[in-house]
Amino acid sequence: MIALWLIGLAKARTLSLLGTIIGIAVTVALMAALGAFMQSSGAAMTAHAVAGLPIDWQIELVSGADPQAIRQAIGIAAALSRTAQVTYANVDGFEAANNGSVQVTGPGRVVGVDPTYFADFPGNFRQLVGGFGGVLIEQQTAANLHVVIGDAVTIHRMTGGDTQVKVDGVVDIPNADSLFQAVGAAAGAGPQAPPDNVLALPTALWHDLFDAQAKELPETVRQQVHARLDHSSLPTDPQAAFINVGDKGRNLELRVAGSALLANNLATALDTAREDALYARILFFFLGTPGAIVAILLTIAVAHSASVRRRREQALVRLRGGSTAQLVQLAGVEALALGLVGSLLGVALGEAVSRLLFGTGLFAISQLLWLGSVMAGGVLVSLLAVLVPAWRDARHLSIASARTPIGEERPHLWERTGVDFVLLVLAGIVYWRTAASGYQIVLAPEGVAAVSVDYWAFLAPVLLWLGAGLLTLRIALLTLERAQHSVGLVLRPVAGNLAFTIAAFLVRQRRRIALGVALTALAFAFGASTAIFNSTYDSQARVDAELTNGSDVTVTGTTAAPAGQVLDALRELPGVVAAVPLQHRFAYVGTDLQDLYGIDPATIERVATMSDAYFGNGDAAATLATLKGTPDGVLVSDETVSDFQLTLGDTINLRLQSAADHQYHPVPFRFIGVAREFPTAPHDSFLVANASYVAKATGNTMSEVVLMRVTGKPAIVRGAAIKIVAALPGMQVQDIGTAQQLVSSSLTAVDLGGLTRLELGYTLALIACGAGLVLALGVLDRRRTFAVLTALGAKPSQLRAFLWSEGVLIVGAGVLAGLVTGVLFAAVLVKLLAGVFDPPPDTLVVPWLYLSLLVGAACASVVVAVIAAAWYAAVSPIERLRTMN
Amino acid sequence: MGSVALTAPLVEIRDAARRYIQGGALLDALQPTSCRVDAKARIAIMGPSGSGKSTLLHLMAGLDHPTSGTIEWPALGSFDDLRPTKVTMAFQSPALMEPLSVLENVELPLLLANDTAATHERAIAALAVFGLAELAAKLPEELSGGQAQRVGLARAIVSAPSLLLADEPTGQLDSATAEALLAALLDWAYAGGSAVVVATHDPEIARALNHIWRMDHGRLTLPVEAAAP
Repeated sequence: MIALWLIGLAKARTLSLLGTIIGIAVTVALMAALGAFMQSSGAAMTAHAVAGLPIDWQIELVSGADPQAIRQAIGIAAALSRTAQVTYANVDGFEAANNGSVQVTGPGRVVGVDPTYFADFPGNFRQLVGGFGGVLIEQQTAANLHVVIGDAVTIHRMTGGDTQVKVDGVVDIPNADSLFQAVGAAAGAGPQAPPDNVLALPTALWHDLFDAQAKELPETVRQQVHARLDHSSLPTDPQAAFINVGDKGRNLELRVAGSALLANNLATALDTAREDALYARILFFFLGTPGAIVAILLTIAVAHSASVRRRREQALVRLRGGSTAQLVQLAGVEALALGLVGSLLGVALGEAVSRLLFGTGLFAISQLLWLGSVMAGGVLVSLLAVLVPAWRDARHLSIASARTPIGEERPHLWERTGVDFVLLVLAGIVYWRTAASGYQIVLAPEGVAAVSVDYWAFLAPVLLWLGAGLLTLRIALLTLERAQHSVGLVLRPVAGNLAFTIAAFLVRQRRRIALGVALTALAFAFGASTAIFNSTYDSQARVDAELTNGSDVTVTGTTAAPAGQVLDALRELPGVVAAVPLQHRFAYVGTDLQDLYGIDPATIERVATMSDAYFGNGDAAATLATLKGTPDGVLVSDETVSDFQLTLGDTINLRLQSAADHQYHPVPFRFIGVAREFPTAPHDSFLVANASYVAKATGNTMSEVVLMRVTGKPAIVRGAAIKIVAALPGMQVQDIGTAQQLVSSSLTAVDLGGLTRLELGYTLALIACGAGLVLALGVLDRRRTFAVLTALGAKPSQLRAFLWSEGVLIVGAGVLAGLVTGVLFAAVLVKLLAGVFDPPPDTLVVPWLYLSLLVGAACASVVVAVIAAAWYAAVSPIERLRTMN
Repeated sequence: MGSVALTAPLVEIRDAARRYIQGGALLDALQPTSCRVDAKARIAIMGPSGSGKSTLLHLMAGLDHPTSGTIEWPALGSFDDLRPTKVTMAFQSPALMEPLSVLENVELPLLLANDTAATHERAIAALAVFGLAELAAKLPEELSGGQAQRVGLARAIVSAPSLLLADEPTGQLDSATAEALLAALLDWAYAGGSAVVVATHDPEIARALNHIWRMDHGRLTLPVEAAAP
């Protein structure tokens, strides 16, 4: 009997059953694909965190410890890829004499490394001039001493007197903080600044020069083992990887207790990544869940479109003596069959989409639980869409009422009690509470395995979304109820003489029309918010990359070979819109050596984005204007303001290197504001001043850096710029694309492209379904109406006018309400997920082209529905009436 | 028709047949039939249920096409011009638009014909023919079966058609109301000069019309003088 019932259903309600199956399949596919994406993005974050790390473990030997025994212990605690021994010696300073003058630096550090170290741990030293063999000098030390390859440098040792070495190469040490970190520093100890002056020697030479100092002053010499772990056995999930590496580190600490201390850089990097991974999960949750809810609502709407027919079928079964239990059983079988078929179809679709967009399937072992849950969810949706209304009807409807399904319903409970307003007010309160806590919704305490998430914060967008959806429904209902004449006027261009009749026709079906408007609005809001969030995210990722790189293309020279000397040639390159020089010097603030950027406030914005978030007062234009109006003005970091108790207008004496004698001399500056970020500047302390004032004070007008804004592909301009600077030693040319791959946040390293394509494609389908499917199924549900119209002599164009009118109302009002909700939702998301953005965006980026595409899709779906109806109208109305009577 | 028509007939049917596929089997709803309806004719088509009366009316209204044979409307112009004003039909079930009020339902043929002059007044007048003017603001679901059927008739006459086809218009009415309705319909037809064809199985109703055609198993039997040429 059940098989017969199902076959009969498939024949009688083919389209609505197919619609329900598709709705379930699309919901399951989206959630399954999101799960796969979360899995692959977690792996990407782990890989990014691990790949960007110069040294996984730094094990510092206690004086007298046996290096061989320590190495053995490391090998037992973790599978290793490679290890190296590195030695450090503190020195009183360096000195160099050339061109009749003598330059002396303050205290510094001499590092001893094997020649293989540079290849084994490539992130620590970057070759600028010369090779990696022999004595290497850090670039700023070289600038301070004014030495080049072949020059002699005197090392002022702490014991054993001075000694001299000959420079073989100039290097940059990009990860000096890590390389020179204080291993085993007491908890709560402040960060240790890396040395201002560094020399690197081959291990053998280092031992020749410093073994004596190690014996006499052991506290001034350190010995470390640097280790790179075998990453192939690391779990792909950042949280699991963090715990894994932490456990291994603690195992090592036990083994070498008393003879060595561990700096677990890998665990620290994964510690950051797991927070990013949580943010990513929340991000995908926020971006994906509304889509799934819209799909579920659509599925319910599609299933509901068959409710009239179902009630009639129930009435017939009742007439033949069927009981309520039998009716519910039949509906249960129908729901289960639809749920299973929809879920299986959804998994197949999700697998195809995941493989296509993310390069990963759904059937990984770690994914099976998620997959099972999603499929169970699919069946649940089916039960919700089919069984619940059937059960309700079977219990409450009499045969007579089943045959008269159309009529005005009284307002629902949520309308009478104002649930929409309550939800919106609650959303506001939760949002305010989250805002008051500084939008800190993910907390991963450093070094602690547990992470905490402020799940309450999630309520704000969820409540906003639901409240906005219900409010849209209420407004649509009220508008249709109270403004029938106005609706007629709006429809006049598409319906002509029939406008007011159609308005009356639609107004009396306002609950169905309003539901269509609300569904379209939610679908559009989902698409708009996703698109706006993604655009803002992409824009900020670019700002982040631009912050690192400075501009589209950046040429970085040295004091000895400044990039400014080729400024004119760079300006002439094809594709260069603007090229602006930037001074990159160093200045002592007290004893702290900081990066100093000399700019022209009037021109810097031609090549670099000056975000409001970069400055303490949150106003980039005002800050630059103040700097322009204050020739001796300087912007400093928050940390400097705090360390030196500065107030606006204070005079600060910075020590800058003079071009005349290469010595540092005090130069007075006026403190005019705070700079938190600046293109090419480091994340810690730095200074920004007027280039003209710096040039005058130092006697050096050259600019070390040139920033270029380009049209077209930056990589092409970079290639051309490399040719121009090829002959100049130590010159680096970077473009924004390269920088984008190097930005520090592992979250921004995740390629959101696949997710974006999935969600935006999904939105297009939702919009098309929301408007078109509801409309098309409405036509099927009102076949009698259209048959009557045709029998009365309605021309196809008049029949279409009914559909156009309905489409215009649903799509027009839905898009309008959806856009407002979408922008609001995106704004809340961007604020709540502030942790994703670095720096936080000043404004939302609205992708108008994509939004136009969404509107186009909605209109196209209406066109398709109208064409389908026109085809439908071509069938003899008498046959329709006969089959329905 | 008893006399030879001096003007072109409204409908002329020549050997028209209609065959359906129902439940996988062929059903001859109308055997090859020839007949004609002249201006101002009053014709009753009598026969039991399933005899093909509705099929013949649908063909006359241009709502359906014959499987074989031809139908023409010589006095009414092209097929495309028949509805919604020249030939109208009142269906066996009232076929009202449920979301529209009674008045809006009756106005609809005028609006579909782009005939927008005084639509309200004409619709009210059509309703008044059957004593329904006071129901103008009601929705179809608020009407009784008989009221709905009369609204269907009002909608059929609102555009003053040359030919009104009515399928069992009194099927849901008691005999007194049915007689009153028919009288009102015929009065309207005399006043406007419209032809009326009524399908019915009620001999009392049939007798009120000038000519009675009989149908049985899809076969039409005409009075001798009304046979097609």
